[in-house]
Amino acid sequence: MKFYYFHLMPYPMEHDEASSWVTLSNRHYDPVVGHTLYNQYLDQLEYAEQLGWDGLCVNEHHQNCYGTMPSPNVMAAMLVRRTHRAKIAILGNGLPLRENPLRIAEEIAMLDVASGGRVISGFVRGIAPEYFSTAVNPTHSRERFYEAAELILRAWTEEGPFAFDGRFYRYPYVNPWPRPLQKPHPPVWCPSQGSSETVEWAARRRFPYLMVFTPITRIAQIYREYREACERHGYTASPYQLTVNLPIVVAENDAKAYEIAQAHALWVYHVGLRVAAPFWRPPGYLSESSLRRVLDNPTKLPTELTFEDLEAGGYIICGSPATVRDKLKVFSEELRAGIVCSGMNGGTHERTLEMMQLFAEEVMPHFRDDAHVDETAGVGR
Amino acid sequence: MVTAGKGAAMLFLHGAGGAGRWWPFHEQLARNFTVRAPTHPGHGGAPAADWIEHISDLAFHYLDLLDEIGLERVHLVGASFGGWIAAEMATVASHRLDSLVLIDPVGIKVDGWIYPFLFGMDIPDLVATLFHEPAAAMALMPRDQSVDTLVELYRERAALARVSWNPYLYDPLLRRRLGRIRARTLLCWGEHDRLASLACAAAWQAEIPGAELRIFRGSGHLPHLEEPETTAAAILEFCRQP
Repeated sequence: MKFYYFHLMPYPMEHDEASSWVTLSNRHYDPVVGHTLYNQYLDQLEYAEQLGWDGLCVNEHHQNCYGTMPSPNVMAAMLVRRTHRAKIAILGNGLPLRENPLRIAEEIAMLDVASGGRVISGFVRGIAPEYFSTAVNPTHSRERFYEAAELILRAWTEEGPFAFDGRFYRYPYVNPWPRPLQKPHPPVWCPSQGSSETVEWAARRRFPYLMVFTPITRIAQIYREYREACERHGYTASPYQLTVNLPIVVAENDAKAYEIAQAHALWVYHVGLRVAAPFWRPPGYLSESSLRRVLDNPTKLPTELTFEDLEAGGYIICGSPATVRDKLKVFSEELRAGIVCSGMNGGTHERTLEMMQLFAEEVMPHFRDDAHVDETAGVGR
Repeated sequence: MVTAGKGAAMLFLHGAGGAGRWWPFHEQLARNFTVRAPTHPGHGGAPAADWIEHISDLAFHYLDLLDEIGLERVHLVGASFGGWIAAEMATVASHRLDSLVLIDPVGIKVDGWIYPFLFGMDIPDLVATLFHEPAAAMALMPRDQSVDTLVELYRERAALARVSWNPYLYDPLLRRRLGRIRARTLLCWGEHDRLASLACAAAWQAEIPGAELRIFRGSGHLPHLEEPETTAAAILEFCRQP
């Protein structure tokens, strides 16, 4: 099993407004507090490498207190020079949100070259509220995603210069310097929300697929569809194409872990993912078939989830090291996933570091049969 | 397309949420005109129309429709989003219009005015933005909350967003082309329109040669819903002039 440390870099705060996204005023953001947070979060990611994590994950979100990384490539750049072994997974860049996605090809190539080939490049559409924050037309989202992905992959793999003439992106000269170090290109991952079109697209290209903040039964169903699609495309999915992706809370005993989880794990759902209804559903972002699937199978909104829902629904794992080991085993077997991608929150920076250490010492070593396997070999490209 | 009434031909282009609706306002117009009220592609349960990329696609769609039904000339009436389409049609084919009536149209950039972003609003904010009297909003209520209806409404919003998300509710080229309109033009405007304020009305009137402006004191963005009788009467009076 491979372990990736996942960070959202939230701005933890309480407020009574209807949405933590798009309209929550940035007057709530105190840059002095932000300075401390950014540095603590980067310390956590660097510490994760020291403790033995295989990868460090950053990701892109805009105009909210849930995740303060509008440019994940900036954070990745800081990690490149402060780490030496771990993969740096950018999960991902929101391709359709860019007016000039060639810039993503350039930035990822820069990071890949500077890091000695440690970069994993996530391709995402950006979640629904991002279309309000960036003003990109959500009815173009899917088409822009595919077109930008094609452009970036060609820019990485074809000798330049060549001309690219898409519907949304047009360049007389595509010829980025530098070229990426990894061949044929850095692995591409597809974090997504389960639309059948994306599952199919990722499976066809052997791009690892992952889902975030979703109940495990739903993840299991989508991962099943992904593996079936891989078989249709003539190969069997590697376990490293799928992840167990959820927050983990570990403490010396179950009671202590529950106490910490109850105090800190709900914030992401109740505040971080509080999104005003219109921002959840920009027109045309979902295909009609995906919309029907959502409407026919209504699930609770994140703000409606109780701690019991999180536990029972498999949104989080919490407990003593032994409990976490058992649950992790169940989850990884159920999902047949070879990578655990998770972040931790002990309530304070120091307690988060302690929790990370406990996990690295008491949980991780029990899952290290594959210590010498390169999880990115033959995957994601 | 709803067709009713008798008299000279009138084409009515609806705004958001107006697909397939036939209100007392239409009824009154139909006393003196043969009113045709088509449903925009992708609206009112029609299949998604992915070929529509720009507001001018809708303008040409309706010019083609006039050819198809053999109408050489019409009185063209458009409300809100439908007014935008009507204005685009008029800039290329005003010789086919006996008259042009625009009811609180959107579609042009007005200095000092940014249209409030309806796509980001919940229902109470929508009602407050569009209506002077909130009770009038009942006319736009969806028929139910079934999955089919919700998918239909989503498709309708997507059809609007395809042509109006960004730039939001205007075509940067339209304003400087309004001077090409040669048809007699009436602008109807709700005094309390909070989507397209009276500053917008003034800009339209300045750009369209000879346009008349009628203000409706008891209305927001939709005078044909809030003051249907006086709005219809003003339109009838204008369109019946030679």
